[in-house]
Amino acid sequence: MFNRLPLPSQFDRTIISGGTVLAIGAAPVLVVLAALLVADRVTAPEFIFYLAATTLLASALGVVLMKNIVHAALCLVVTLLGVAAIYLLLLTEFLALVQVLVYGGGVVILLLFGLMMTNAQDDPVVTDGSQKPFAFGVAALLAGVFVAMAVDAQWGSPEASVVPFRDFGARLFRDFSLPVIIVAVLLDIAFTGAFVNARRAEAEGAGRGETRP
Amino acid sequence: MIPLENFLVLSGLLFAVGLFGVLSRRSAILILMSVELMLAAVAINFIAFASYRDVEAFSGLVFALFVITVAAAEVGLALGIVLRLFRERRTANVDEASSLKW
Repeated sequence: MFNRLPLPSQFDRTIISGGTVLAIGAAPVLVVLAALLVADRVTAPEFIFYLAATTLLASALGVVLMKNIVHAALCLVVTLLGVAAIYLLLLTEFLALVQVLVYGGGVVILLLFGLMMTNAQDDPVVTDGSQKPFAFGVAALLAGVFVAMAVDAQWGSPEASVVPFRDFGARLFRDFSLPVIIVAVLLDIAFTGAFVNARRAEAEGAGRGETRP
Repeated sequence: MIPLENFLVLSGLLFAVGLFGVLSRRSAILILMSVELMLAAVAINFIAFASYRDVEAFSGLVFALFVITVAAAEVGLALGIVLRLFRERRTANVDEASSLKW
């Protein structure tokens, strides 16, 4: 049966091996969590939270550690979808939808486009600088401080509450109308700037009679 | 219910991972990806506090929405700059673009 299939490309092999590694890594976590769920040690929302958090952090580590740039970008997709799952657990459906639309759709495509445009050479590139140990120290210190502070503080036991779509939209455009306008102007300026910046290079190159690479 | 601390710990760890990426990567695109991780961590923090402690005021949710918007604008603008850098210098590594003028 497999003979009739087309030969797997490098990309397909990447996906398959990545999926295998992910499954091998995620299976123990899933088994432990399922056992805890059956034994009533965690509730269903907590089960989903730990699953999403593990996936999210593992793929975030993939983003910053992978040697292959395209693999890092694919890890970023998983991370951002995991963040959308966390938003859903925080009972804000609207922001989860916005996250999937803007990040999963727009930003990742834009980043992949940038990778394709700037990664012309075939030889493997060194993607990490020489300051990696220093970076690890700073990040570990900061993570320790954040975790210690979050665990140490007395938050009481507040409950999350649902924010309805209708209320969110009404409050956004009534009480926060000025910030919305300012953000709209900022977006306008940013994209005009990006367009002008990318465009002028071509015009100058054409004016000097150079051929673009 | 999931306690608030879980979300704060998660966002702190995600922020640290993103910071590690920003400091250790050379490619400008990978640095941008790590910045996206840090912004996502901040947005998780905003939304966690908004839906646990600040339901009436909505300000956390609105700020998270603005974080997402500004991140999208930032990616668009930064990619324009990186493309231009690549056209002029044939590199997208930040440590090779260290001169202010040439």
